[in-house]
Amino acid sequence: MTASQGKMKFVLVMLFVFLAANFLMAQKVREGSTPAGQRAVPNGDGSASLLPDDGTGNAAPTGQAVVTGNGINYNGGPVLKGSPVPVYIIWYGNWNGTGSNTAATVSLLEGFLASTSLGGSSYEAINTTYGDTTGNVSGHLNFVQAVFDTGSQGTRLRNSKISAAISAQLTAGHLPTDPNGVYIFATSSDVKESGFCTQFCGFHTHQTLNGADIKWAFIGNTDQCPSGCEIQATGPNSPSTGVGGADGMANVITHETEETITDPDLNAWFDSSGQEDADKCNFKFGPTQTAANGARFNQTFGGHNWMIQMEWENSRGGGCDQTLGGPFFTN
Amino acid sequence: MLIRCLVFIVSIAFAASIAAPAQEPTQPKLTPRIITATKQVTLFMGLERQMLQAVQKKDKTSLQAMLGDDFTIEMPNADPLDGEDWLDSVTAKDFNLKSFVIRQMSVADLGESAIVKYERIQESTYQGKPDGGEFFVVDLWKKNGDAWKLANRYVAKVSSAPSIPKPIKPTGKQ
Repeated sequence: MTASQGKMKFVLVMLFVFLAANFLMAQKVREGSTPAGQRAVPNGDGSASLLPDDGTGNAAPTGQAVVTGNGINYNGGPVLKGSPVPVYIIWYGNWNGTGSNTAATVSLLEGFLASTSLGGSSYEAINTTYGDTTGNVSGHLNFVQAVFDTGSQGTRLRNSKISAAISAQLTAGHLPTDPNGVYIFATSSDVKESGFCTQFCGFHTHQTLNGADIKWAFIGNTDQCPSGCEIQATGPNSPSTGVGGADGMANVITHETEETITDPDLNAWFDSSGQEDADKCNFKFGPTQTAANGARFNQTFGGHNWMIQMEWENSRGGGCDQTLGGPFFTN
Repeated sequence: MLIRCLVFIVSIAFAASIAAPAQEPTQPKLTPRIITATKQVTLFMGLERQMLQAVQKKDKTSLQAMLGDDFTIEMPNADPLDGEDWLDSVTAKDFNLKSFVIRQMSVADLGESAIVKYERIQESTYQGKPDGGEFFVVDLWKKNGDAWKLANRYVAKVSSAPSIPKPIKPTGKQ
């Protein structure tokens, strides 16, 4: 081999390497997908997204616990059947501030989730109409434990940062790693999460954290956008006029906990347009009464009045109601 | 000479390999999550669906009622269409909207107007040939009394391959 042939061979090899690197590095992750090997999961706004099919998406139920034909479909995945389902809260940001970013909100919402409040209510019992092949939802939940994170991930969040914040609490042992529980990540109104207030008021998801399938929900302080996420600026538990964040969050917490229990892995209960049980009644409250401060409310438990959306009952043909077995309302 | 030429090509390839990733903005992974839609997303999701259902039925009257007087639709590399022309095109015999999915909707509420952005995936045919795909839509809605009217739409095709999530159908065994 002559020197010039050797150089040429070297150059050709380099050309191949660079071109290969070029093609590989120029690849772009495509949003959207092809149908093969994927499955549709709901987004909660009535739309659906395609995700890698883990083989559980369309399994046919065989047990007696699954009742369908009521406007919502069972898609083969598990539900949370704890009695009660434990709820953990990560209070993120500044909860020693003003307005609704206060210890009073923290106390009110932890009490809201107690087994003697929402957790044992006839409203929560609506969830007993959902199940999987091994049993039904208990209709009970209970607040167990909370931790504070004053801002380990900053004040501009995205999903990966929320995951990191929750994961840190689990790995440090500040919260138990409980695959059968619901983790609420509640942010104060100075914390921004992309999509919050323009797309959503909250969301729920699941992912492996600290070695377990953790179900968590994001709930922002709705005082960041009362027009988007609050049914009324002043709620029945508002500390002053126009400070409705705690009541707004209670409503979204209700929505997300109901759905996390009936569709924890995003493959259990939703309808043909991708709506989960609480989505089907989003911002529908039914008949209301008026509290002393002029705010409307539709539920009373745990020593407080609440304004929380109705939930889809999976029986009697299906519909939105305020209590298990109660009348259905369209708005 | 040949070697110089190859060195030149290699240099270009190397430069391209560095530049290519930088030409794309950061695209975060689409997180599998289920949202509680805002009041505005709930409202405009309903209106947008209503419009598309009217297109499916070729219901020109209903569509007309949802458009503002000065409605225009704009697309890349095309002249704008006014309301009448758009209505004629979407209700034409040649066009058939079989199915659609709206997703990733966000709404900027500006009081008397709202900017609505979303992705629409549709299966449709034009003159009997597949004409569907994935579209990115930006709508400007304006309030007219108690009603919302669509004032302006910008729509761009993102891809030609439709990937409509198939609805879950109860099997009777469930």
